[in-house]
Amino acid sequence: MSLSPELREKILSAAHRAPAPTRAQAARARLWLFAAGIAGAIAIFLIGGGVRMTDRPPSLVALTSLGTAVFAGAGSYVLFTRRGRSALRRPTVWLLLAALAAVVGFLLLKYSLSTAYGRTDIWPERVGFRCLRLGILTGALPLFAALVSWRGTDPLTPVATGAAFGAGAGLGSAVLVDLWCPVAYLPHLLLGHVLPIVVLAVVGGLVGWRLLGLRKR
Amino acid sequence: MSDYARGDDKAFAIVYDAVAPRLEGYLRRHLRDRSLVEDIIQQTFMQMHDKRGSFAAGSQVLPWAFSIARNFMIDTLRKSKRESTADLTGGDRSPVEALLVSAVENAEQVVLAREASQRMISVFNGLTEHQRAAFELTEGDGMSQAEAAQVLGTTVTGVKMCRHKVYQKLRAVLHDSAENDPSGPPPARAAAAPFGGT
Repeated sequence: MSLSPELREKILSAAHRAPAPTRAQAARARLWLFAAGIAGAIAIFLIGGGVRMTDRPPSLVALTSLGTAVFAGAGSYVLFTRRGRSALRRPTVWLLLAALAAVVGFLLLKYSLSTAYGRTDIWPERVGFRCLRLGILTGALPLFAALVSWRGTDPLTPVATGAAFGAGAGLGSAVLVDLWCPVAYLPHLLLGHVLPIVVLAVVGGLVGWRLLGLRKR
Repeated sequence: MSDYARGDDKAFAIVYDAVAPRLEGYLRRHLRDRSLVEDIIQQTFMQMHDKRGSFAAGSQVLPWAFSIARNFMIDTLRKSKRESTADLTGGDRSPVEALLVSAVENAEQVVLAREASQRMISVFNGLTEHQRAAFELTEGDGMSQAEAAQVLGTTVTGVKMCRHKVYQKLRAVLHDSAENDPSGPPPARAAAAPFGGT
């Protein structure tokens, strides 16, 4: 059996009738959406109080924030670059490992640096709920921007990609929360700084399943 | 496809001519209904058109197209419950069986070949979705292991392992056939040759 010429004509004329965005147009739209997401996150951060140094050494703030940002950047590079000449994203196991590495890596970095500076004391009045709320709110907008930007483009790994997007957005929000919160007491870190990354990764996976994939759910 | 993603609308016809026959061959092995195959091809190309903006320059188009088509096919199969591998157990003669049967001359060998064929079919039916797809893409569609890994969203090692397991199971079946065949090497060995080595 060979395909009918009518099918060819049908497909080509349908494509001609409804032009799709080119790569440059799609990239521009993605950039605007992303910029809006990040601007929204920064606005929420500033409304929530902005940078609060308190009595923390500036070098500690710089190291943890920059370290997290570099970590998020490296993770994003792995996420957004392709595997060789493939138009598809990396395998599921890589994406899930990236999400897991984001959580564990951030916790190790933050806690080890804070320990080195001797700043892991208990703060009974700061359980971590405010950090949790700030982390989720500031991470949600870039995550939503990423999911909408890449909607319907992942035929293989929508859940893992969404989870990795969520973990990346969570790491970005962790930078902002770190600039705002001086507490490095371990239970506080787990609840207020690490849990938002986990929550955003889970939300990213669930929303990604519906938004990034091709299959009808 | 890169030209098309850049905005050269005429390039889509070239993409269609290069990709559609390969997709058709792949889909025909799973779906007997011609209209369903054409439906999925149409959906796949419309998706490729719609998402051309996300196609990175210099990427390979075939694994991308196959992975999209595979998604639509799985949707269609779920909807219609018409899975070709289930059909292989009865009704029309399968390609494997036809190949085996054509390679023998006497009735006893036909019986043995059919038995071997049935066993091979049961092996295929017992494979996981990933194992079967990895085997089909590399052996049936002539894709490299790296390309098949892209289509399936796994690693090259994952594809190698799937192929290895399929070959192990096929070898076991062919070995049993050889032991049951009084006239020497079974014709099934000839049938296995087109699949290549491990």
